[in-house]
Amino acid sequence: MRLGRVIGRVTLSQAVPSLQGARWLIVSPLGRDDLSARPGAAAVSREPSLVVYDDLGGAPGDLIGFVEGREAAMPFEQPTPVDAINGALISNVYYHPMP
Amino acid sequence: MMLARTEGSVISTRKHPSFEGWRLAICQPIGAAGQPEGTPVVALDPLGAGLHQRVVVSTDGLAARQAVKDPRSPARMMIVAIVDEPSPAADPARPRGEIA
Amino acid sequence: MFLARVEGSVVATKKDASMSGRKLLILRPQLVDDRDPTRFRPGVNTIVAVDSVGAGQGELVIFCQGSSARLAPNLKEAPVDAVIIGIVDSVDVLGRQIYSARSA
Repeated sequence: MRLGRVIGRVTLSQAVPSLQGARWLIVSPLGRDDLSARPGAAAVSREPSLVVYDDLGGAPGDLIGFVEGREAAMPFEQPTPVDAINGALISNVYYHPMP
Repeated sequence: MMLARTEGSVISTRKHPSFEGWRLAICQPIGAAGQPEGTPVVALDPLGAGLHQRVVVSTDGLAARQAVKDPRSPARMMIVAIVDEPSPAADPARPRGEIA
Repeated sequence: MFLARVEGSVVATKKDASMSGRKLLILRPQLVDDRDPTRFRPGVNTIVAVDSVGAGQGELVIFCQGSSARLAPNLKEAPVDAVIIGIVDSVDVLGRQIYSARSA
């Protein structure tokens, strides 16, 4: 997983059948500097923002752990084209970067 | 697999059921000289790595799914080795102790 | 997945048999601009993706990459690594709507 801040949502007018009704979050991944930054620092990092499938109830402002790659499609019973999924809503971060 | 240094951990209230009960370690990918390379990742930690220890992180989803015993888990990153070295706590410049 | 703008299409008569009848579109990823989150900034790379939803020129779409792409309908055996999985209706960032298909 990588860590990211939920900064928004996407709604679709058309989707492949296996993804109709799905919830989509826009996530700004946290780099090393972003993790050290105090809350209230810039909400959007310089890392490329991506769209993440969500079935955990993530909302803008939440910190999440998201999985990328083929593994993101593993939880689905039917073949579903997803390459990024919300794996965990993060409540606490203990981060002690080495100086 | 990549070389990384553990720099913390995260607590999750709501997560994929397969992550339940697992320690989730923040791992900073590093080069051979210890320099950070890229963004930190969160990996399953079955070995109990200490803070600032060097570890090997695998991105092999199959191994991670077997570890969590759930063929439909999205798990992918997992600490698969802790690098042998003098205890990090022996260096007074480094903080001491386990990951909170 | 990433957001992307459809910039055009690729016409190819000669192609892998498993891709016959499939439309190939040229995409430019759109990332939320960190300096002004009310707009997008274009990604640096151009992507060719298989269409699965009937997307057209100029539309904002989301696409899926890597081996997950073959999980889209009828692509199981196709040599593809990018597929359009949805046409975007709206995008909200930091509490503000920054894209709407109806006003695009």
